[in-house]
Amino acid sequence: MRNILHWLTLLFVLGSLTASLAWAHKVNLFAYVEGGTVYTESYFPDGKKVEGGTIEVLDAGGKKILEGKTDAQGAFNFPLPKKEDLTILLDATMGHKNSFILKKSEM
Amino acid sequence: MHRTPCLAATACLTVFLGFAAPAFAHFGTVVPSDDIVSQQDPKKIQVALKFLHPMEGHYMDLAKPKQFGVLHEGNKTDLLPTAVETSGKGGDQKKGFTAWKVEYTIKRPGDYIFYMEPEPYWEPAEDSFIVHYTKVCVNALGKEEGWDVPVGLETEIIPKTRPYGLWTGNVFTGQVLVKGKPAADVDVEIEYLNESKGNPKIVQPPSDPFVTQVVKTDANGMFTYAMPRAGWWGFAALSTADWTIKKDGADKGVEIGAVYWVRTTDMK
Repeated sequence: MRNILHWLTLLFVLGSLTASLAWAHKVNLFAYVEGGTVYTESYFPDGKKVEGGTIEVLDAGGKKILEGKTDAQGAFNFPLPKKEDLTILLDATMGHKNSFILKKSEM
Repeated sequence: MHRTPCLAATACLTVFLGFAAPAFAHFGTVVPSDDIVSQQDPKKIQVALKFLHPMEGHYMDLAKPKQFGVLHEGNKTDLLPTAVETSGKGGDQKKGFTAWKVEYTIKRPGDYIFYMEPEPYWEPAEDSFIVHYTKVCVNALGKEEGWDVPVGLETEIIPKTRPYGLWTGNVFTGQVLVKGKPAADVDVEIEYLNESKGNPKIVQPPSDPFVTQVVKTDANGMFTYAMPRAGWWGFAALSTADWTIKKDGADKGVEIGAVYWVRTTDMK
């Protein structure tokens, strides 16, 4: 019984360590428009993709117009909703957030 | 080299004497206007190509390079068609010397490796040609990936320290490759670029050895150097090519240099 507890504790500690290493970095967001679709990429500085991050899109007035989650490639794509400056927000949990202003001139 | 032992000895002596003189610290130079492009920074950067003595400031003519491009996410782009001829001079030089500049627009995140292969430069004092394969890295939009990927040049320095985001006093560690393989016991010459933007005062070396530092690579081709001032630092790992170039009917040796440029910033 004690052995199992020790193993479980070790696994838990190792699991926590691995998780915190990934979040030791800032998180980044990059977006561009191509063929009427907005492509967003969410990543850590070392290139690892942000999976399951929350993306919120605000219009030029600051109103939220859509929301989604990044996939296994760190991507969340959507049809261009409005041709105006859009603010795209990323929340990768653990306080890691970033934003990207997609300018009307790039659409 | 297929020469008689006597000629070989003379050639070696000439080459040795040539390298021993610190005045011949020519550096192929590739320096961007910004080496860390963040989301709020202008995405259009200027890349300057020069051939000069970084500490003394003396320029030499840089003929239009044989190759100038950028490697990003595994793709190489030829930038030679957009290179514009310009001119530069330094120290007590009166006339300008040929240099080049390129405008480049950053589009995607990641590391951009700008690389240049110049036309062979004839140096009569060393009775040999010089070819400096020069690289510099620009980081864009928070993705720090690609800086340690080889370009695939005759000789190149692979940075082992991430080559941007460096503080004054940080070390730079690199590995010298010749034909893709680590090169042991290679002299790496190091100079500070006195014309670095933001350099508050031109550094006056107290004596010759202070112009160019020298470190040797170890058995694995590795070297390390601590940079004591903010600005651009050039590392030139010098080897002799296993090929020659004909000049006036004779085979001339070629000094091949693997050059890498990094920028340091004062920690405030």
